[in-house]
Amino acid sequence: MQSAPRNPTRVDKLRHYLISQEGVLFFIMLVSVLLLATRTDKFLTVDNLLQQGRFMTEVGLIAIPMTYIIITGGIDLSVGSIMGLAAIVLGWSWQTLGFPLELAIITGVLSGTLAGFVNGLFIVRVGVPPLIMTLATLALFRGLAEGISQARSARGYPEWFYQLGQGELLGIPTQLWLLIVTVAVFGIVLARTQLGRALYAIGNNETGARFSGLTVNRYLLLIYTFSGFMAGVAGYIFVSRVSTTRSDMGAGIELDVIAAVVLGGTSIFGGTGSILGTTIGVVLIQLLKNGLTLSGLTSDATIVVIGSVLIFAILVNNFILSRRGNS
Amino acid sequence: MSDMLLRMQGINKNFPGVQALKNAHFEVRRGEVHALIGENGAGKSTMIKIVSGVYQPDSGDIQIAGQAAHFGNPREAHLAGIATIYQELGLYPELSVAENIFMGHAPMKTRLGLRTIDWERMESGAEDLLAELNIHDLDVGAKVGALNVGNRQRVEIAKALSLDAQILIMDEPTAALTESDVEQLFSIVRLLRQRGVSIIYISHRLNEIFDLADRVTVLRDGETIGTQQVADTSEAELIRMMVGRKIETLFPKQMAQIGAVALELRNLHRPPLTRDISLSVRAGEIVGLAGLVGSGRSETAQVIFGVLPADSGEIIINGAPVTINKPSEAVAQGIGYVPEDRGRQGLIREMTIRENTSMAVLESVSRYTFINRAQEQSLASQSIEQLSIRATGTEQTTNKLSGGNQQKVVVSKWLASKPKVLIMDEPTRGIDVGAKAEIHRLMSRLAAEQGLAILMISSELPEILAMSDRILVMREGRLVGEFSRDEATQEAVAHAMMSEAARQAASAAP
Ligand SMILES: Nc1ncnc2c1ncn2[C@@H]1O[C@H](COP(=O)(O)OP(=O)(O)OP(=O)(O)O)[C@@H](O)[C@H]1O
Ligand SMILES: [Mg+2]
Repeated sequence: MQSAPRNPTRVDKLRHYLISQEGVLFFIMLVSVLLLATRTDKFLTVDNLLQQGRFMTEVGLIAIPMTYIIITGGIDLSVGSIMGLAAIVLGWSWQTLGFPLELAIITGVLSGTLAGFVNGLFIVRVGVPPLIMTLATLALFRGLAEGISQARSARGYPEWFYQLGQGELLGIPTQLWLLIVTVAVFGIVLARTQLGRALYAIGNNETGARFSGLTVNRYLLLIYTFSGFMAGVAGYIFVSRVSTTRSDMGAGIELDVIAAVVLGGTSIFGGTGSILGTTIGVVLIQLLKNGLTLSGLTSDATIVVIGSVLIFAILVNNFILSRRGNS
Repeated sequence: MSDMLLRMQGINKNFPGVQALKNAHFEVRRGEVHALIGENGAGKSTMIKIVSGVYQPDSGDIQIAGQAAHFGNPREAHLAGIATIYQELGLYPELSVAENIFMGHAPMKTRLGLRTIDWERMESGAEDLLAELNIHDLDVGAKVGALNVGNRQRVEIAKALSLDAQILIMDEPTAALTESDVEQLFSIVRLLRQRGVSIIYISHRLNEIFDLADRVTVLRDGETIGTQQVADTSEAELIRMMVGRKIETLFPKQMAQIGAVALELRNLHRPPLTRDISLSVRAGEIVGLAGLVGSGRSETAQVIFGVLPADSGEIIINGAPVTINKPSEAVAQGIGYVPEDRGRQGLIREMTIRENTSMAVLESVSRYTFINRAQEQSLASQSIEQLSIRATGTEQTTNKLSGGNQQKVVVSKWLASKPKVLIMDEPTRGIDVGAKAEIHRLMSRLAAEQGLAILMISSELPEILAMSDRILVMREGRLVGEFSRDEATQEAVAHAMMSEAARQAASAAP
């Protein structure tokens, strides 16, 4: 029997989107927003939501390369430390080395990029598992940042420096523009380009990807470097937002990022995931954090609720996947 | 009938978009070897996965020795005496032979109040089981990953029999074996039949069925076409039952204009399995590479393809020496490689037919690195058409395809890359007669019309003899023989392949 492929009708397509992981997540987000809005009237206001957009930009930017990396079956735990390192290098090269601020910014971001490149190099060339390598550099880069900063913080930047972190463009926080554009560009890159296809192939079967002639090592090196670059940019934005540099900046942010990526439906085992999912994950976590705090929950209780939502979303995801596999 | 051990009636099984079995029926007597044959995707594996509890039928009855049986999972079937060796081998390479055999039901002992594995009893039990199968040359402490395919299969059989099996199911057990391993397997099967075990045997090699089986059942498009006594039927009749039409030539070979040397190896060296290999393949030529499993044919192919870069020696493509240290460099030089292990090396099984067929040619279906879906789609449709791949469409993930159809996707993926040199490692493994002829025709045509140089590794001597312009023989990592198409005979090539092993066997015999 050469069964004729049935063309999907519009209803099929609609169902496909509604019951997709992103669809379910979006639904959870809507419900959360409505529930939170009934608890406090400070939550669902334009000002508050835009403010949250400001706060989530750093996590959002780092979550993009993290999605790429997790799709290949890897992980990058050192992003928070890279962010701190980039911030410190920025402040130090401006204040101590006397670089012009523009150059100091570039130096900071480059130091992050270099840190990511080092991760990638060891993972690809020496074959250190990503978890081990980035766990080691999580400590290493943080130590480096502390060594450079000597527990001093750099402050007193000129006014223009705060535009990115505290300013607005057309009524929207400046950094949110950057996030939106970056998400759009790298979402399309993942979904439509050779790079994206290669990442999925590597995550599903690295041997098969190599045997197909894909330049696996080059792609891996690229995405770990990209991760360092984004962490560097996030470091710059962070300094610009809070007006000062300290060596503990970004500590623990890797967990927020990974939580958002996994919440967004990217499998920690690699092979699946999307930037759209990750974006919803980032937004959902930020809204929960903010809404619950505004409703008067303690920060401990907030973490418990977020953890529960994460588990719930993963259960629903698994249910959908197994239904799809069997039906 | 009291000697009916297994009876399946009115079996239906649906997968999304495909009805894999339609009102199929199948009966097995006690102590017979019953072959199950059919084209790729006919439903053979699905049928036996229902017997062994992997799938549950949508409807239908299964009786074991007259009793209605329902197996919710493979374990229940196993406990009911049904043992299965699946199409894709399933051992743990890091564990020992004994551990693999007793996986899930290791003998236990109580010591200091703790229940622990009784290693001694496990090892001696494994040795006993192997001895029952007349296997005396296998170390039960050896890691399975270090064994060759033939030995791994013997371990699978011992494992299957470690729980008293009444029915042993083998899904294409010989697809990866050479002749001598096949002979050993057959003697084990005959031994088991004598002991009253029923064997369900799936294979695309019809000669094996005439060698081994008592009865044969043919499936086509999920329906049972009929059951025959092997003694009362012929190859031609079985083929007609399988495909519903006649197939003209089994190995269509088209003579080609042999051109300039396309691929040349000079003293290519990477021990232990590639030693000082020098050979050449000309444009339009099909060179067959024969040898036992483990003789280093696949390893040499992987040295050329850059998976295992050479320690020394030269690779020369169209007269120019090239450096190949990874597969991407080989692909860039116009070399394609259809690998031996389709599940791990050939396919990304979780991805669709479309994504797999374009995997090696992403560059050519892209503009400014953006993949052109429409172009990919038409490439995949062409492949499905050309090799009659049985699928619900280009968007089907390849792990949902039958084994033979997966193999066709791998072949079409490398044909799509339009290589100058194509290395094919067991290209027709697990492929049915019709599609096999189709692939052979394609190979011949590409060689003749486009001057493609093909290096074909195969464990099936008839395939090598019929398709090759020249035949090379490997043994223990070295090239040990070369035959022109005219001088090659089955005996001569087999002798070149095996003489060392034969000598060893002769000296080892008491
Ligand atoms: N898990 C699955 N999901 C969807 N379709 C499936 C699945 N397993 C098998 N099929 C489909 O059912 C049909 C029968 O497949 P089956 O594996 O039984 O074929 P087969 O006779 O064993 O073929 P081969 O000789 O190639 O191994 C095929 O069309 C296949 O694509
Ligand atoms: Mg099969």
